[in-house]
Amino acid sequence: MSTRAARVGHTSLRLACVRLVQQLLSNGGSLTRLLPEAQARVEPREQAQLQAWCYGFARHSGELAGIVDQLLDKPLKAKDLDVYLLMQLGILQLRHTPISAHAAVDETVKVARQLKKPWARALVNAVLRQYQRRADELEAALSDAQRLSHPQWLLARLQGDWPEHWETICQQNNERAPMTLRVNCRQGTTQDYLQRLRAAGHAAQQVPQLPQAVQLEQPAGVQLLPGFETGAVSVQDAAAQLAAGYLTRHARRDGRLLDACAAPGGKMAHALELGHFAEVLALDHDPQRLQRVADNLSRLKLTGNSRLQAADAAELALWWDGVPYDAVLLDAPCSGTGVIRRHPDIKLLRRESDIQTLVAAQSRLLDSLWRTVAAEGVLLYATCSVLKCENDTQIESFLARTDDAALLDATWQILPGDGGMDGFFYAALGKRSRSTIAMGRSDES
Amino acid sequence: MSLLELAFEHSSEPVVSLLDILYYPDAQLRRNAAVVENVDGTVASLVDQMLETMYAAPGIGLAATQVNVHQRVMVIDVSEENDTPQTFINPEILTAEGEEEMQEGCLSIPGVYETVKRPALIRVAAIDREGNPFEMDADGLLAVCIQHEIDHLNGKLFVDYLSPLKRNRIRKRMEKWIRDGANPDDLPERP
Repeated sequence: MSTRAARVGHTSLRLACVRLVQQLLSNGGSLTRLLPEAQARVEPREQAQLQAWCYGFARHSGELAGIVDQLLDKPLKAKDLDVYLLMQLGILQLRHTPISAHAAVDETVKVARQLKKPWARALVNAVLRQYQRRADELEAALSDAQRLSHPQWLLARLQGDWPEHWETICQQNNERAPMTLRVNCRQGTTQDYLQRLRAAGHAAQQVPQLPQAVQLEQPAGVQLLPGFETGAVSVQDAAAQLAAGYLTRHARRDGRLLDACAAPGGKMAHALELGHFAEVLALDHDPQRLQRVADNLSRLKLTGNSRLQAADAAELALWWDGVPYDAVLLDAPCSGTGVIRRHPDIKLLRRESDIQTLVAAQSRLLDSLWRTVAAEGVLLYATCSVLKCENDTQIESFLARTDDAALLDATWQILPGDGGMDGFFYAALGKRSRSTIAMGRSDES
Repeated sequence: MSLLELAFEHSSEPVVSLLDILYYPDAQLRRNAAVVENVDGTVASLVDQMLETMYAAPGIGLAATQVNVHQRVMVIDVSEENDTPQTFINPEILTAEGEEEMQEGCLSIPGVYETVKRPALIRVAAIDREGNPFEMDADGLLAVCIQHEIDHLNGKLFVDYLSPLKRNRIRKRMEKWIRDGANPDDLPERP
């Protein structure tokens, strides 16, 4: 049953979508940050749709802009960005949603008035109707960057780094990611949890090679997952679950682990669940995000042998007591170009100049943290990037300038979609004691 | 700092798993729902998804029939704060007295609100989400809502209480709205 709800005060779905993307483009924050506010302004039943549209917009923005550009005689003025985005939203509905064409056009045209630009109604209408008539021809004329909806600079880098894979990478970036869970092995076996999921009506499968990973056939809100509140399970991509395996394989049992950039804490929680380390210190520069780590650990009932501290990991003087760590996890700040399928707004927010800054920050973290690694200890370097300058090239230069470092395994670049996983990079760096350095570096690459 | 923040976000894109609601005049809404023999995890999970669907709609009550599951399960939350969900499995009205008129709407007939006359005070027996039987007295909006949802389980809709002329007009408007793509921004209510 329903009652006549007060319909005043709510923003229309399409207006909210245009406003949110406008805010995104003016660097007002990420989708993850902006969406909850925008959702609070639309009617509750439209919240899921607003989210789907905003993610769709970010995913396909290059293509949408490319189509609208062909249909405009001259570019719109900068102050009419909202009208430009409204036209793109119209094309999004026509191309990527099941909404009927006539409702998509009519409802989108109406928003021009809500933007207080009634003059734009005829223009929006003409652009959308032209698209309906000439869709094939307009799509055929798109450039690679537009067709694949990647900024030109990023596309060029991907083409340079991955001459054979760049197109697949871009296509995978535009897919929706699966929802993968990590079963808390302290509370039960993966098999048992699969049973619980099935009893609750969720079809799911174990991920090969990853003992705690379960992939859901259909994504579900976490509140619907059995035992989520009491810590039976967490949401974590399969690629991120590989970190714990590296750490347990290469670090001695009952040693000390440092997680240098810990938030939101999934990888460190996984290591704690496995019970391999006697002591864990988690650092993050952002106290608010560190609070999320604390919340996660308390949900998973893992607070016992861990300590959290807000600090920039590269500033050793601020946090390090001088006692070396058996294992250091450096999940470094990176371009996020491996997780675009989860965060399509990365394509809109990232600038080419960011890459330089990130590469410098990564190498500074590597150099500082290397000092905290014990002899015969391991530093696991991880990024969710697919760019070589942040990954293989970064590690090659580190090895070249660091005498006592050697790769323990070949580095591993996972491309987005490989085995259903996010794009990720791992390099396990072993610290040799002074006496063994003379034996020379292994030639793994 | 937004770029660093983004790089750290490995969490999954949030998702809402909602059930599809059938719209009048779908013939499935006319089915008589079966008695639930065993309140197990599957029923509890159905209840959870129905609640989520009801809150998202937004509605104050939802019967399993409306999401094309033909079992005697219904959920209700008439609180202002949407924090008092109630589950009724195999509900039965034991006693009914008095008479009250109230304007009703239905998630299967969006945008349409009409006045219906029903008993004002009822006593109902049912089983809760954990499988425990209970009995309760209800009046006001809760009483109306319970009766409205039990009607669904019996294949009955609130428009059945209206005149055939009015019901037909609503049916035509609904059919046109569905033909036009069931746009939630443009409900079939009259201006």
